[in-house]
Amino acid sequence: MKYALYLGCTVQSEQFGFEASVREIMPKLGVELVDMNNTSCCGFPALSSVSKTAWLYLTARNLAVAEEMGMPVLPLCNGCHLSFIEAKHYLAEDSDLKAKVDNRLAKENLSYSGDVEIVHLLEVLHDKIGLKKIHESVTKPLEGIKIAAHPGCHAIRPSDLQYVDDSENPVKLDDLIRATGAETFDYPEKIDCCGSQLAVTSGRSTLKIAGEKLQKVVSYGFDGLTTTCPFCFKMYDGRQRAIMGTMKDRTLNIPVFYYTQLLGLALESDPDKLGLMLNQSPVDALVERIMEK
Amino acid sequence: MTSRDKSDFNTKELEEAIRKMHSEVCDQCGKCTSACPVTKEIEGFNPRQLVTKVALGQIDELLAEEAIWTCTTCLKCRERCPEEISPYDIILVLRNLAYRRGLNYPVGYDDFIKGINERGYISSPQQMRTRDGERVSRVNLGLPEPQVPMRMNAFKGNLEELLKAGND
Repeated sequence: MKYALYLGCTVQSEQFGFEASVREIMPKLGVELVDMNNTSCCGFPALSSVSKTAWLYLTARNLAVAEEMGMPVLPLCNGCHLSFIEAKHYLAEDSDLKAKVDNRLAKENLSYSGDVEIVHLLEVLHDKIGLKKIHESVTKPLEGIKIAAHPGCHAIRPSDLQYVDDSENPVKLDDLIRATGAETFDYPEKIDCCGSQLAVTSGRSTLKIAGEKLQKVVSYGFDGLTTTCPFCFKMYDGRQRAIMGTMKDRTLNIPVFYYTQLLGLALESDPDKLGLMLNQSPVDALVERIMEK
Repeated sequence: MTSRDKSDFNTKELEEAIRKMHSEVCDQCGKCTSACPVTKEIEGFNPRQLVTKVALGQIDELLAEEAIWTCTTCLKCRERCPEEISPYDIILVLRNLAYRRGLNYPVGYDDFIKGINERGYISSPQQMRTRDGERVSRVNLGLPEPQVPMRMNAFKGNLEELLKAGND
């Protein structure tokens, strides 16, 4: 199994814990990740908001690089994944638009055919590697720990363009949590938005949307929350203290992990190789509990 | 909020794109609004009302409102609409139109565009703080140097011309 690894702005500029943990665990599960040259931002939603054509050009040039490499592309960010999926759809249905984009790509010696396969991390883990292999690879089961699944909007919607998981009842992240030996259960707010995309216009509303969900997660008795989206992770982990302040709720201190960090602990990877020192939420007690077992 | 100095771009294609979204078939069922995470937080943001205004041709009014810039792009409205109208997609076209007409848009977008134009990405790799307050870089973590567009001049030229020309 070989994938072209697309990082995107957020992961490569700041979400090092995600990238490090993905690079650490994938080879252990038989997956080879190949770095991409010549990539750029995917354009979502910064450019899709101001110029659809400029956005499609940006995304298509990344897809063109993956096509040149001759392997499926794995974008690490939910937003980049949606951007790739949407762009592939628009460029397939509108030949005029594709001609405009092709013309631009030619100036960079790139060409895009539309044949590239776009995969999501949840699909690679759940469907390609498979739960059985993950379960068998786990040497330190995360027993007795209850983790809430937060798949993130752009991994599951819109269902007419992508089917990473069911849009109203996603279960793959839950299955993956259980494969590590940890527990999880469904909760009503599981498919709710983290609010991060509102940060550019209203910082306070962003924190309130994230805070209301976090309050529910805490109230259900979860020991932690996990996701595979860098934007959602930034909200729940990096901005957790700010959320606590906005909500005036001191109970909102809950460990937040990238799924690949949790799985890495279950595979007995060194916590430093999983970038766990970069999580800003209070993960230490839970990590110690796991390591001591 | 900020605005561009040009307002003379051709906007016909975008106006046509909005017409193709068939907002007139809306049943006013409100599933979009009840699913929307922004409606309950920001006064004046209501996808059902937005679809009505589009159907009534009140585009100028919508473009002048900050509301179109507050969508979180969660896509629940698109997912749940029984008439397959997508407030999410309508909002993106409205944003494109506002930008092209030289109307107000959030300041942050200029930084996004500037970053992409300068280095291919919105942001460049930062020194991140650990829980203990130590600063670490990609290099400290053994992560490879990020890749940038190889033909930077051609890349910049493409981006600038596409942004200037809008969607035409």
